[in-house]
Amino acid sequence: MLASFSDYFSFKIVWSRMPDLIKKIPITLELAGLAFVVSLFVGLLIAVARYKKIKVLDPLATAFLSIVRGTPMLIQLYVAYYGIPAILRIFNSWGADINVNLIPKIVYAFISLGLYQSAFTSETIRAALESVDNGEIEAAYAMGMTYGQILKRIIIPEALENALPGIDNSIIGLVKGTSLASTCGIIEITYQNQILAGRDYRYLEGYVALAIIYWVITVILERVFKAVEKRTKIPESPAEISGKNSSGLKEKTSFISKVRQRHGYFDHKELA
Amino acid sequence: MAILTIRNLHKKFKNNVVLDGIDLDVEKGDIIGIVGPSGTGKSTLLRSINLLEKPEEGEIEVGDTKVSLPLKHGSKKSVTELRRHTGMVFQRFCLFEHKTALENVMEGLITVQGKNKKEAEELALKEIENVGLLEWKNHYPRHMSGGQQQRVAIARTLAMKPDIIFLDEPTSALDPELVSEVLNIIKKVAEQGYTMLLVSHEMDFIRKISTRVIFLDGGKIIEDDTPVEVFEHPRTQRARDFFHKMQILREPDYYL
Ligand SMILES: Nc1ncnc2c1ncn2[C@@H]1O[C@H](COP(=O)(O)OP(=O)(O)O)[C@@H](O)[C@H]1O
Ligand SMILES: [Mg+2]
Repeated sequence: MLASFSDYFSFKIVWSRMPDLIKKIPITLELAGLAFVVSLFVGLLIAVARYKKIKVLDPLATAFLSIVRGTPMLIQLYVAYYGIPAILRIFNSWGADINVNLIPKIVYAFISLGLYQSAFTSETIRAALESVDNGEIEAAYAMGMTYGQILKRIIIPEALENALPGIDNSIIGLVKGTSLASTCGIIEITYQNQILAGRDYRYLEGYVALAIIYWVITVILERVFKAVEKRTKIPESPAEISGKNSSGLKEKTSFISKVRQRHGYFDHKELA
Repeated sequence: MAILTIRNLHKKFKNNVVLDGIDLDVEKGDIIGIVGPSGTGKSTLLRSINLLEKPEEGEIEVGDTKVSLPLKHGSKKSVTELRRHTGMVFQRFCLFEHKTALENVMEGLITVQGKNKKEAEELALKEIENVGLLEWKNHYPRHMSGGQQQRVAIARTLAMKPDIIFLDEPTSALDPELVSEVLNIIKKVAEQGYTMLLVSHEMDFIRKISTRVIFLDGGKIIEDDTPVEVFEHPRTQRARDFFHKMQILREPDYYL
């Protein structure tokens, strides 16, 4: 007798796996959320250190980025998992009093994931900061604004718009990255699947169910981010702001002036 | 009444001496046209007065605020104070990209002058009307022509009610057919009694609008007189050569 398809793969089992996996989604999201906070904070520090070329911090940040990007995430996770307790024990030997065993495993995981992601988020933030036109900053200075005011009113709001798509990507990257935390014994959805599959050996169905869950989370997040980006972005066309404005047409650039510019002669700019 | 006094101003970039001891007194209502060859330090002069550049030596006094150079720790406050009394219009407009025309004009009123939103909006609307862009108040810079952006930039400066306004080639980045709308606004502003330092290559305009013209060359003011005197009877060969060259360069305009 021929083996039936369901001997190899059963949608029913995929489906039946869902409820137990879904139960662990909060752990996955918690881990991603905490890691995101770390990545944003550290990423901002690194970005500012590099943007403002702060003396000791700038080369330090550059070295950090190189290491984090040049080593596998999984290895970093293990280094954090064994390294952070080791460091704390060293502190203890100097007289600190930290009960290392009471620290939940998730702490190592979100610190490690957060640091990893910060290496990428920092570049997003730095690029966004650098994209703010220097002329605008000078104009603000010329009005008598202080650097703090300029940061708050001009640089950050403008950089934020530019950084948002990159930051959104980093959140999605983190959600997917949390699956690695299963290796540190955190029972999030990936680990949960391994536990369940270990009982009935339906690994394929389990992983398919898992893939579907990650995919659905990612799609939902993308939708949310799109909506947020749309709200913060300056509209592409002026009609979107004031539809009733009849004079909403840009003044046209004359053909002659375009030709003159292209050939670069007799133009005011030549004398600038 | 002197609005701006500059004494012995020196500025160099590395070994390139750009301002080599500039003295200048500006009276209330003066419209001073600043001309001179490209790269001669006209922009650097304006940018040094409001300390966007940091001169090495000299003194700058605007109203009651005096800044002595080189800047020391603790002179930040007087720099900010000096800037509050001056306004600057840039060649490249430099509007805040993420703010509408109205918000651009309101920004300084709120942040620098501490006005509340309603008050700032009223004042800003007046200035936007002054430059003829009331219909465009809710547009973002990127949706406006260069001429319109520059008019918003002028409104933004006027809203702060500066004692003196610096304009650094305000029409040089514009397509030729947009130049006149901006020059008309500048003329209007001049007639409203503002004091101005205007760097421009629009010689006819400078001649018409200025009460005084200075010619900058080699880090020094080499001509300083009424427009008629400077343009028609320049004392120095360098100025003569320059005006001669400008005429030639301008000629094709007439044939187009
Ligand atoms: N930020 C800068 N760094 C170095 N050199 C500069 C800088 N800005 C201007 N310069 C130099 O100073 C001189 C005067 O420039 P500028 O004031 O822009 O002249 P102008 O406005 O008269 O064309 C030029 O030789 C220019 O190359
Ligand atoms: Mg210049």
